[in-house]
Amino acid sequence: MRFLKRFLTRLFNSASRRANDERLREEIAEHIALQTAENLRAGLSPVEARRQTMLKFGGVEAMKQDYRSERGLPFVENLLGDLRNAARTIFRMPGLAAVIVLSLAIGIGVNTTVFSWIQTILLQPLPGVSGAANFLLVEPRMEIGAYPGASWLEYRALQTQVPALREVVAFQMVPFNVGEKGQTERTFGQLVSGNYFSALGLKPALGRFFRPEEAQRPGTEPVIVVSYDYWQTRFRGEPGVVGQKVRVNERDLVIIGVAPREFQGTIPLLKFELWAPATMAPALLGGTRDLEDRSVRAFSLIGLLRPGATREEAQAEFTTAMAQLARDYPEASAGIGGEVLEFWKAPRGPQRLLISGLAILQGVMLLLLLAVCGNTANLMLARGSTRQREMAVRVALGAGRWRIISLVLSENMLLALLGTSLGAALAVWGTTALRMAPMIAAFPIRFQTRVDALTLAFAIALGIACGLIFSAAPALYLIRLDPQDGLRSTSNTPPRSRARKVLMGVEVGLAMVVLIAAALFLDSFRSARQTDPKFQPEGVLLAAYDLSGRNPDDSSEREFAARLLERLRSLPDVEAAAIATNVPLDLHGIPARSFTVQGRVRTEAGQDRAISNTVTPGYFKVMAIPLIEGNDFAEMRDKAAPPQAIVNEEFVRRYLNGAEAIGRQIKTRTASFTIIGVARDSVYDAFGESPQPAFYFSYRDLPAMQGEIHLRTRSGNETALTSEVRAVLRDLDPMLPLYDVRTFSQHIERNLYLRRIPARMFVVLGPLLLGLAAIGIYAVVSYAVARRTREIGVRLTFGATSGRVVLQIIRENLGVITWGAAIGWAVAFVISIHAITKGVVNLPVFIGVPAILLGVATLACWIPARRASRIDPMAALRHE
Amino acid sequence: MKQKADVLQGTLALMVLKTLDVLGPLHGYGIARRIEQISGDLLAVNQGTLYPVLLRLEQEGAIASDWGASENNRKARFYRLTREGRKQLQAETQDWQQTAAIIARFFNAKAEDLS
Repeated sequence: MRFLKRFLTRLFNSASRRANDERLREEIAEHIALQTAENLRAGLSPVEARRQTMLKFGGVEAMKQDYRSERGLPFVENLLGDLRNAARTIFRMPGLAAVIVLSLAIGIGVNTTVFSWIQTILLQPLPGVSGAANFLLVEPRMEIGAYPGASWLEYRALQTQVPALREVVAFQMVPFNVGEKGQTERTFGQLVSGNYFSALGLKPALGRFFRPEEAQRPGTEPVIVVSYDYWQTRFRGEPGVVGQKVRVNERDLVIIGVAPREFQGTIPLLKFELWAPATMAPALLGGTRDLEDRSVRAFSLIGLLRPGATREEAQAEFTTAMAQLARDYPEASAGIGGEVLEFWKAPRGPQRLLISGLAILQGVMLLLLLAVCGNTANLMLARGSTRQREMAVRVALGAGRWRIISLVLSENMLLALLGTSLGAALAVWGTTALRMAPMIAAFPIRFQTRVDALTLAFAIALGIACGLIFSAAPALYLIRLDPQDGLRSTSNTPPRSRARKVLMGVEVGLAMVVLIAAALFLDSFRSARQTDPKFQPEGVLLAAYDLSGRNPDDSSEREFAARLLERLRSLPDVEAAAIATNVPLDLHGIPARSFTVQGRVRTEAGQDRAISNTVTPGYFKVMAIPLIEGNDFAEMRDKAAPPQAIVNEEFVRRYLNGAEAIGRQIKTRTASFTIIGVARDSVYDAFGESPQPAFYFSYRDLPAMQGEIHLRTRSGNETALTSEVRAVLRDLDPMLPLYDVRTFSQHIERNLYLRRIPARMFVVLGPLLLGLAAIGIYAVVSYAVARRTREIGVRLTFGATSGRVVLQIIRENLGVITWGAAIGWAVAFVISIHAITKGVVNLPVFIGVPAILLGVATLACWIPARRASRIDPMAALRHE
Repeated sequence: MKQKADVLQGTLALMVLKTLDVLGPLHGYGIARRIEQISGDLLAVNQGTLYPVLLRLEQEGAIASDWGASENNRKARFYRLTREGRKQLQAETQDWQQTAAIIARFFNAKAEDLS
């Protein structure tokens, strides 16, 4: 209490800089007067009386100093003084400060933005759910390592058999066709267990959530919960929405509630609009056997950990429960174990797709920030050396080592702080931009990123780290300074600072790594638009349909596709039409299948795999992929032909050593197919990929619920076909929506979206970094040259040409730069070979980037060198 | 030659408090004189060191000060004990006496008492 009171008084005194030295002065005067009078009375001479008084009193100035430090808080006073001083110093060098603050802001801004994306994926997998950290993924796992999901009956059993999990929640993602005949809209929703909303701890924004009895028996209550966005966009946020009916998959459902605003479902990164009880599955999915068939593993499970229980306990109990199920129901559960995992370890789903890419991006951005720090350190060091004299005076006047360090530190920290605030502002802008960005893909991806406390803490930590890093060099330099040297020295003693040169080298090396990474990325992005996909996307319209609401079987799927194709081909503007299960260059990639092919014996362990797509006859015509040998698939209604397959050239090259392919048998896990044709290689997953083995199956043999319609127009104006395609589908089935209608070119653009964000970052950051490196080098060289004015003058006097002087200066500095660049290059090269392009060297990048960087570096050396060489030798010698 | 004892800061504060307790309001010089007289010149105190201690005690609220007139009618600052200061003095006096008593007992103890 006493301590606190005193501390506050002192803090107040420090902050207000209240100087009442007057009082002390008067007290001392009085004291001395009284003591002197006393001494005079004792019989001393006036002079002696005063001398004795002063002796007794002790050092007045030392006492005053003690008094002042008792009055205020010297630490705080020094800090405030340093900060004031720092602000003044920064104000006096607006250009340099602007470069430093801006470059730091950009470095910290991009890092914070990328971090906010990563932390959204890793740490806040379920937006709107406050206790998301207590939820674990409960994933059945097959012996071969696949994660098949759980069946409904399995879920019911697990609910009671894993006591470490207080609640287990089941859900399955389903596409819903919402609306009246002819105007249906396709939306994604989840079929969920009755405890879904209560276990997640959600409060409805409006109305209520499911009652337990509403998810007990199949098909009891036709109720549905809509998302906040859905309520806002489709019902204009009207409060009367509760109780209204919506038609979903041809069933009337009553809206009972609206989910909270942030909530978007329980699959990270995906946004759902509707939630219906899982018991509605048979009604909504055309009589599916989801609820009674143990082999239909349609549900995903998450569990809420009981307070005090650990993941390990839950894992053990889950394993036991799965083993029991495998014993009880061997035909459906044999060989299936399970894992209880944190969300960020999700073995499947969209977050897996993004996280590794983002991690690399973050790494590159951190390197960039490090390069910015190196640059700043260099600039500060160059400035620090011009302040040698100032520091020497300070040391001579009694400033301790820590005072000097704190002076340098407060200056740099102030710069770092400014950079951090600006960077955080940039990050806020960046994350908002991403939130707004339309994420159209086969699935409704949605990022809910924002700059929250953790992200802000990350930005501040980065700022502090940067401040410390670029303070270290100047601080070390200045405290090692001998004050005598500093005071005496004029520019005739050029101290060759090794630190500066090493820093310059390091900076150039880092810049090299980042620039190469940026260039590789941009190059791959640019080539995406320019390289030939080896099929013809122009003039092709894509559209998707989905029969999953109908619970169709193979023959109805096949028949639907056959009829659809007949109708489409009869349209006058359609040159060719086909249906396929996958579209090349999709964000999610095309699946690969394992197989064995007649005539090939695999020597190493594992299985041969190839990309697989299932297509109808006519596909190769639409895509303009020539068949090199053999024929197209048999017609859809052909019942005589055996199961067929078409392979691509790379398949023949890799797996058949170029031997005749036609007539051979391919076996997959489920069936056997005869190769009837060889198609030319084309691009499947990404532009610039090396040729991949692929095989095509026929829709006739492997019909699917979902299909991507591919149409090639005669006129070349593919968008004009949209309404005709819609009309055709409406004719065939009025309740079935056509979705994802886009031209093939749009499809490609859209799926490059995720790569476009970092590409834009690099477009801005690459030149910026190059500019920074140039400024850094320029500063160092011009400083070094300024220190050697006299030496240069002497050389010129003795007949050196200015050309020679310039050359020598450039050579000296370029040596270090080349070393740094070479090391950076080697690092980038090794990483690229091993991790990114896997053996393929992008020569233009690995030659071009160093050439540009060294060119810029030479220029940055040349300008100050040339200026120095042009001085009048006499003036240089007279200097000082 | 007998060395003059160093004065710990806390001790000096205690002396100031005791002086003010006994003599009532007093100016800085008066306090210094008094401490000198009582300690019999054994303490090596520069009179100046008194002032930071006075400031600290005032900030802690143990003493308060006002301007007044000194004996030769000059303006002088007079310090007086506050209620809090009196409490502090009592507590510290007790502490001090206890410490002194323990130390004294140690010095008086004979070898057999310790075995």
